[in-house]
Amino acid sequence: MNTAQTMLICDDEEELAHELGEYFTSLGWRVELSVTAENAIGHLRQGLAPRVLITDLRIGAVDGRQVVAEARALPEALRPALIIIITGHVMHNVAAADFDSDFLYVKPVDPNDILDDIAAGLAGGTTAGG
Amino acid sequence: MILSRNRRSLGLLKIGLVVASVALFLATALVYVSQTRQQAFLTATIRSSGWVAYQAQLEFVKVQAEFAKLSIVPSVHGVHALMLRLEILRSRLPLLYDSDEGRVLSDVVDTRGPTQIFEVRLDQVIDDVARLDPEDGDAAAELRALSAELEPLGEALQTILMQSVAYNQEIFRRERALAQRPGAVPLVLLFISGACLAAVLILQSRRDRIRLGEIGEAQAALAAVEENLRAVIQAVPACVVVIDPDTDHVSFFNPSAATLVSPSLDDPAWPRFVKAVRGAAGEPDTRRWGALTMGYARGPGDIISLRGSVGSVLWERRQQQLIVLVDTSRVRNAELQVMQAAKLATLGEMATAIAHELNQPLAVIKMAVANARRLLDPLPGGEPVAAKLERISAQVDRAKRITDQVRRYGRMPTEHLLPFSLRHAVELAAGFVAEQFRAANIALSIETSAPAELLVFGEQTMFEQVIVNVLINARDAFEAQDGEAQDGEAPRDDTDHQSDAGSRESGVGDREGGAGDRAVRVSIGLEEGRAVVLVQDNAGGVPPEMLERLFEPFATTKSTEKGTGLGLSLARSVIRDMNGTIVVENRGGGACFAITLPTTQASATQDAA
Repeated sequence: MNTAQTMLICDDEEELAHELGEYFTSLGWRVELSVTAENAIGHLRQGLAPRVLITDLRIGAVDGRQVVAEARALPEALRPALIIIITGHVMHNVAAADFDSDFLYVKPVDPNDILDDIAAGLAGGTTAGG
Repeated sequence: MILSRNRRSLGLLKIGLVVASVALFLATALVYVSQTRQQAFLTATIRSSGWVAYQAQLEFVKVQAEFAKLSIVPSVHGVHALMLRLEILRSRLPLLYDSDEGRVLSDVVDTRGPTQIFEVRLDQVIDDVARLDPEDGDAAAELRALSAELEPLGEALQTILMQSVAYNQEIFRRERALAQRPGAVPLVLLFISGACLAAVLILQSRRDRIRLGEIGEAQAALAAVEENLRAVIQAVPACVVVIDPDTDHVSFFNPSAATLVSPSLDDPAWPRFVKAVRGAAGEPDTRRWGALTMGYARGPGDIISLRGSVGSVLWERRQQQLIVLVDTSRVRNAELQVMQAAKLATLGEMATAIAHELNQPLAVIKMAVANARRLLDPLPGGEPVAAKLERISAQVDRAKRITDQVRRYGRMPTEHLLPFSLRHAVELAAGFVAEQFRAANIALSIETSAPAELLVFGEQTMFEQVIVNVLINARDAFEAQDGEAQDGEAPRDDTDHQSDAGSRESGVGDREGGAGDRAVRVSIGLEEGRAVVLVQDNAGGVPPEMLERLFEPFATTKSTEKGTGLGLSLARSVIRDMNGTIVVENRGGGACFAITLPTTQASATQDAA
């Protein structure tokens, strides 16, 4: 695992954000936590340049797709290589691509699954899953 | 109108004839009586008048005889006798013109003139006789002279008598003629009267015939109306029953009522039905439609909702009670279904929200467990804790299955149904469970008589989920047979078996099985333009008490580890959204699920219609 890589986790569910952060930090990731969309967008604009962005689909009153759109709009050097959405909402017949993300998970999710997908995604450029 | 006018004219004519007839009859009787009485009176009078003339003549003769006798031998006694005779004759003369008989006689012959002249003379003769001395020698001559003076009186009386006799003879002759020839007038009157009566009778009989005809026509019309009414009552879908209010005996029921209660009047169901109506009616007369609502238990568990009215009716010339009821069970069931659907929709929305909220803490637990396990790994002797963490993780997974199923259950149906290949969807679903079937030693086979391009409308993923649920349901039934043989019944449905997109690539796998008796056969066909998918197993079938409720939410006999009780309910919901049906029955030693769906061709035809 590339320990120099940065991950931005954005979820208004603070406990979940912390658990996710702890999990990936233990695996060598440099994790930045945001419990608001504004904070996450601020990190992105300020040049955090995370390798992976994990965001909830609804962060308080803000749509997580705004964070995704902000990340996609960054210059390539600052743009995350993988964007992952984790949501607790009902999902039928939807795919990650529908939200312009690389992976889509419905809570609760096994972190090992996320880890496997990140490894595969960073290695082979996979853009489908969920 | 014309008939009415004729009838009125005939009536007036009849009354006129009756009045005329009665009047004529009375007139005839009066004329007859009057004539008879007058005739009798006249006859008597005339005959008496002859007698008066005769008496006068007789007295005259007696006077002349006394004169003759006294002329021969004058004596005082003779004079007295003569005077008596003269007095009697004198008293007879006024009777000839001053009595009823005399007046009648005067019409025939003048009696007053000839007799009154002699009345004075007769008085003088009486005086002369009274002065007469019988001893005188001239007495005889004097008597003869007095007798001669009275001779004209005798002639006058003779004439009167003769005239009277002639008159009496004429009267007698006429009477005889009348007796021989009855009076024409009374006969004519009687004839007219009889004719009038005959005419009255003829008119009456004609009127009676007309009236009888009218009554017959009215009765025929009434019978036709009654027949039509009965035909209508027999044909109406409502239950029509007539009962005697005193005995509660059923007098009449139509075919709909026979279907509802019984075709036989002797059936004890009828008294039970009447008692149920009586109990529900409350008021004695609930004529207003809808005033009577009741439930009727046709058999065990077969309760019919009925709505209608009870009212008095004149039936077969007796006052009876008419019960009219319609079966509102379907409407009632539809209302209940709508209510149930509304409740389920609300429940679905609530369940979705709850599932979403539950997923948040579940996600935290899941992550916390992962972190705890990671922290525990390097520590010695942490295995028991690791086992607990594993159990926690497994329970989170179970909770996730429940929330996923609940979210599916509460999903909104898709508005736009898309066509997909039925055969392909079934094969994908079968492929998803193929490995599990192989592991459970169940032979899974797919038989199709439908073309591969047969398309149905709906959400393919959801439809695949339905097939998966039914197949896993069969698998669980086989497992239950093994594990719970003592129960003798295989639990059914509710398993939360979902196929995610990543698993669809699985092939159908071991279709032919290799699994002894255990077999599940899926067949796809076309029946009357509709696609039919049959899933038949030989796992013992569904417990009879579960058959009715199998598609209801949370209906299951399985343990909580096996499922949520929503799988088949969700399946029904999905199939219903596809405008299809799903039913189950026990046959061939197992359960047979039959899914019927409209095809694209049938849908196109419907749209065109």
